[in-house]
Amino acid sequence: MRPENYEAIKQPPSNEFELNFGPNHPGIEGNYAFRVKLNGDEVLSARADAGYLHRGFEKLMEGRLWIQNIALVPRICVPDPVPMEVCYSLAIEELCGLEVPERAQWLRVMQLEMSRLAAHLFAFGGHAATTGMYTPMFWGVADRDLILDRFEELTGGRVYSIYNIPGGVRRDMPDGFLDRLESLLDYLDSRLADYDNLFFRNQVFIKRARDIGTMSQEQALKWGVTGPNLRATGLAFDVRRDDPYLVYEKIDFDVVTEPGGDALSRNLVRRAELKQSIRILRQIIKHLPSVKGPVRCPIPNPLAWNVPAGETYTRVESSKGELAYYVVSNGGDKPYRVHVRGPSSMHAVQVLEKLAVGSRLEDIAQIMFSLDACPPEVDR
Amino acid sequence: MSDIPYKDKGSILGPFKSLGFFSRKPVTEPFEPRIAADNYRGFHVNDWDVCIGCSTCQKVCDNAAITMVKIPGLPDDPVKGIRNERPAIDYGRCCWCGLCVDICPTGSISLTQEYVHTCREDELDSYFILPDPKGMHNKLFPKGWSKSEDADLVDLERQHMAEMEPQSRSDNFDEIVDGFTDQQAIIEASRCVQCGMCHDSCPTNMHAPEYIRAIWEGDAEEAVRQMYRSNPFSHVCGRVCTHRCETACSIGRRGDPVAIRWLKRYAMDAVSDERVREIAAEGKADFISGKKIAIIGSGPAGLTTAFDLAKNGHAVTVYEALEKPGGMPRYGIPEYRLPYDRLDADIDVIKSVGVKIECNVRIGSDISMKQLRQDFDAVVVAIGLQQGRSTRIPGSDHEQVRSSVDLLRMITAGESFDVPESVVVIGGGNVAMDIARSLARMQKSQYGKVAVTVSALEDFDHFLADPEEVREAREEGVVILDSRGPRECIIGKDGKLEGLTTLGVISIFDEDGRFAPSYDEADEQLHPGSMVIESIGQMSDISLFGEELTEELEWNRGRLQADENGVTSVSWLWSAGDMVHGPDVVHAVADGHRVADSIETYLNKE
Amino acid sequence: MSKELNLWLDDLLKDIKIIQFKRKNSRRVRIDISPEALPALLELLQGRASYVHLSAISCVDWIEEGEFELVYHVWSYETNSLVSAHTRIARDPGVYLSVYDLYTPAAFFERDIHEMFGVYFEGSPDMEKFILTEWNGPPPMRKDFDSEAFVNQTFNWEEYHPQWLKDIEAEGGGITTRPEDVR
Repeated sequence: MRPENYEAIKQPPSNEFELNFGPNHPGIEGNYAFRVKLNGDEVLSARADAGYLHRGFEKLMEGRLWIQNIALVPRICVPDPVPMEVCYSLAIEELCGLEVPERAQWLRVMQLEMSRLAAHLFAFGGHAATTGMYTPMFWGVADRDLILDRFEELTGGRVYSIYNIPGGVRRDMPDGFLDRLESLLDYLDSRLADYDNLFFRNQVFIKRARDIGTMSQEQALKWGVTGPNLRATGLAFDVRRDDPYLVYEKIDFDVVTEPGGDALSRNLVRRAELKQSIRILRQIIKHLPSVKGPVRCPIPNPLAWNVPAGETYTRVESSKGELAYYVVSNGGDKPYRVHVRGPSSMHAVQVLEKLAVGSRLEDIAQIMFSLDACPPEVDR
Repeated sequence: MSDIPYKDKGSILGPFKSLGFFSRKPVTEPFEPRIAADNYRGFHVNDWDVCIGCSTCQKVCDNAAITMVKIPGLPDDPVKGIRNERPAIDYGRCCWCGLCVDICPTGSISLTQEYVHTCREDELDSYFILPDPKGMHNKLFPKGWSKSEDADLVDLERQHMAEMEPQSRSDNFDEIVDGFTDQQAIIEASRCVQCGMCHDSCPTNMHAPEYIRAIWEGDAEEAVRQMYRSNPFSHVCGRVCTHRCETACSIGRRGDPVAIRWLKRYAMDAVSDERVREIAAEGKADFISGKKIAIIGSGPAGLTTAFDLAKNGHAVTVYEALEKPGGMPRYGIPEYRLPYDRLDADIDVIKSVGVKIECNVRIGSDISMKQLRQDFDAVVVAIGLQQGRSTRIPGSDHEQVRSSVDLLRMITAGESFDVPESVVVIGGGNVAMDIARSLARMQKSQYGKVAVTVSALEDFDHFLADPEEVREAREEGVVILDSRGPRECIIGKDGKLEGLTTLGVISIFDEDGRFAPSYDEADEQLHPGSMVIESIGQMSDISLFGEELTEELEWNRGRLQADENGVTSVSWLWSAGDMVHGPDVVHAVADGHRVADSIETYLNKE
Repeated sequence: MSKELNLWLDDLLKDIKIIQFKRKNSRRVRIDISPEALPALLELLQGRASYVHLSAISCVDWIEEGEFELVYHVWSYETNSLVSAHTRIARDPGVYLSVYDLYTPAAFFERDIHEMFGVYFEGSPDMEKFILTEWNGPPPMRKDFDSEAFVNQTFNWEEYHPQWLKDIEAEGGGITTRPEDVR
């Protein structure tokens, strides 16, 4: 006989089980954990678990002088560090009322677009890897390495360039840099045909990626999706064009959209953005020699620099979406609060959880890479 | 809309296109470490001959990676602003951002193109390196990220100090400099990197980094408080100090040193005299010790001693032979450099802590040293160098051959004398400039034109006077001749002085370094002038001691013998200031502090 | 993009007495509003003025004033304008309403602010820890939490004893200033 206070333990149905996707997994970009409840192959629910890359940047930045933070800031987004530096510098320039010289602005746009190229090569290379096609991944990483060589020449650092400073950039361009950049762009242009042949027009990939992780435009707007992911649902919005900063208003480029809203469309948007970035860079190469002047406006001694009290919200378009910094100063020589809004805060957490439901186990990695979700930005 | 046609048309020959890859160059890395770019941020290298150990790199490092290490054997010269410390970097924390390179005031540290270092887990000590000129692994790589003009984070230019134009200042004794505005002071104070070289090189170790920081924060009162920790003559020093601090300033290595003296002037002027008195009196003892100290001479040395001892609760009386207190700052430095009311303000502060100053009392004649010995527990002699030396050339005993110290005293005291229409000054130091410029002003206002000639032994590369004095004197119409030695004062048949003849100087010192000038007899010039002023040095009138005491004391080549704390060979007598070793106001202040400490110890032992 | 909507919005918001309105430039607006009225303002902006995108919710700890400042940044795709709505809530107890029903992205930011600052958002779907799942201390972004002191207490700084340092110490030199002394 059962005792009176006996309560039967509820067991889940025997074909449901929970798997830990990550944090160390080649299908995850970075270190990020994803708990999926599966019924066989089908995902019933997913739950994101972050924190493996938490370095506490927002708190660290409050304890360092304004200028010391330029070394911390690129580390918040590893594949695409330049928009972080630029956004932080733009925020301080706005608070201090500094006027960045024009040459520095063009150099900043050049870096941003080079970084976008590198990040996109990484992104769809990674996506290819999740579908089992490793060759585009190797190609993507290799071609990105050539872009990193240009970064090394310009800034002294390959990935964390620490080249932007409030007021401008830290060094002028070396001689002959634009020629080498131009030959790199020619090389990348020729490689695009190879990528198309192997990857973007590959029926294997198209069949794998079509209708995976589909979201409609309403859903995207509701969930706060930004960047290429939003453009892949058909909405033509780009912070560079619609909330312009630096010298983007003087540059010609198209904002490319795709109507599908699935993983395939997102990749195609990125492929189109590659072409647009190359186009922007060619315009910069042509224009930059005629822009003369200093590369930095005069700034106070970094050890004795009080930024006037105030707050500002600056946005830039990183390769992953809308990146924003909310910087508050209380008139001191250290930031009072720096809040980093990374684009992946939306994509990697809520959007991924919602899109994963109903998809299959093998597609979760694809969805994550097609969203270009970057865990360092989520964790800061 | 995208423009990628993603429908694969496909062809049977499609796969053969891949054969083309055999002829392509792959993206690959060489086996040896690749040569880095010209601007690369690799491992550090530090030129120890250029590095001064200022530790600014340590302050800007955002990962707290730099430790300062003292290395014996390296030059350590506080006066020049060099320390024997060098930065050591923890590569476990360094992120190679290069901020240390950009902010280094001397440009000694840079990043090279080296980037490979391997070690086992038990060799982690190799991560803590001391960058030296040889490179991390004793193999020197080319420089990568190094100091560049574009991106220097140190501000090398000083804020401009506005001065009166020569034509407006040449006939009056108004103060020449305008002083910093609030804005300029904050900007100038922000240039400081707080290295502390100024503090180490100041003879009285003023807390300059602290007061510069206070000025930058807008807190002039805190600046005044920091100044009074070591110098009660800050109005004076803020105008006429020889600024050893600025000579040692690390920003001055490659640019203009921080204008520490003008910042001192700014802060002292920014706070009301009343408030300065309140701040100076902070920490004054609230008891009376019952000890009495006499100080002879109310110059900076005497009054600083008086200030310190009065704040410790003792009764201090200062005896001054002239009409007003202040000593050489009042009677030697002209008003256009140091306005009298600013000196009075400094002296008022000293009086306000309880120091009694009795003027017009000459020790030796009005009161004897023996009397002082009886009435007081300790006596300090700080009478300075009030007599001018003479060249003793033929004709120098004429009544119109004067000494610069005498004339400067007369000008200050308002005693009138016949202003000569043309005058020749012998000597090339700051005192010669003072008398030359003062007379130029008096000539300009009385006769409308300036006729002052200065003849100095030294050549312009080794001139003794400050370059600013020389420049300003020339602007005011003074003619300065270098490398000329005085020969004779020419007296006319009517007994009037007609001028000075000088000879060209071949050398000033002989092989042993002794003062023995040799002249070129063929190069003789006559400089007309109805007055010749000798400004070649000063000495002290020691007659106040009286015969007995003079016998008792020990002397060193005519100067009173005293150790670095001012202790003479007689237990109750101290000496300080110019008469012991000088040579300027701030050294006298430093002397005053040491003597006060020494007296304090002595009184506590009794 | 629509300029009419911007003008209409400016006029409307200037008239409402309980809010302070300041337009910084053509694309940035700052609004200061009391916490009770904020959700209504957001609903107005979203429904009527097309501010459908919640860019971020930021929290600032004004410890001296005893308040948390919550800033809601909303963006309109129609008018290309960003409205930052600032509101202040008392630091103790640090409770506020969730705007999840209006904006889905709010869930992430509210969860993050709850974890980092300790502010509780009523109605938010998920207030569980996200990043600091193994942390038992106080909310770390608060100003009264000194992370440097925590690090110094909990962890050891690495001690290095390289040969060059031993040689220098033998000659009489040695470390004079450690970096932690000048921070």
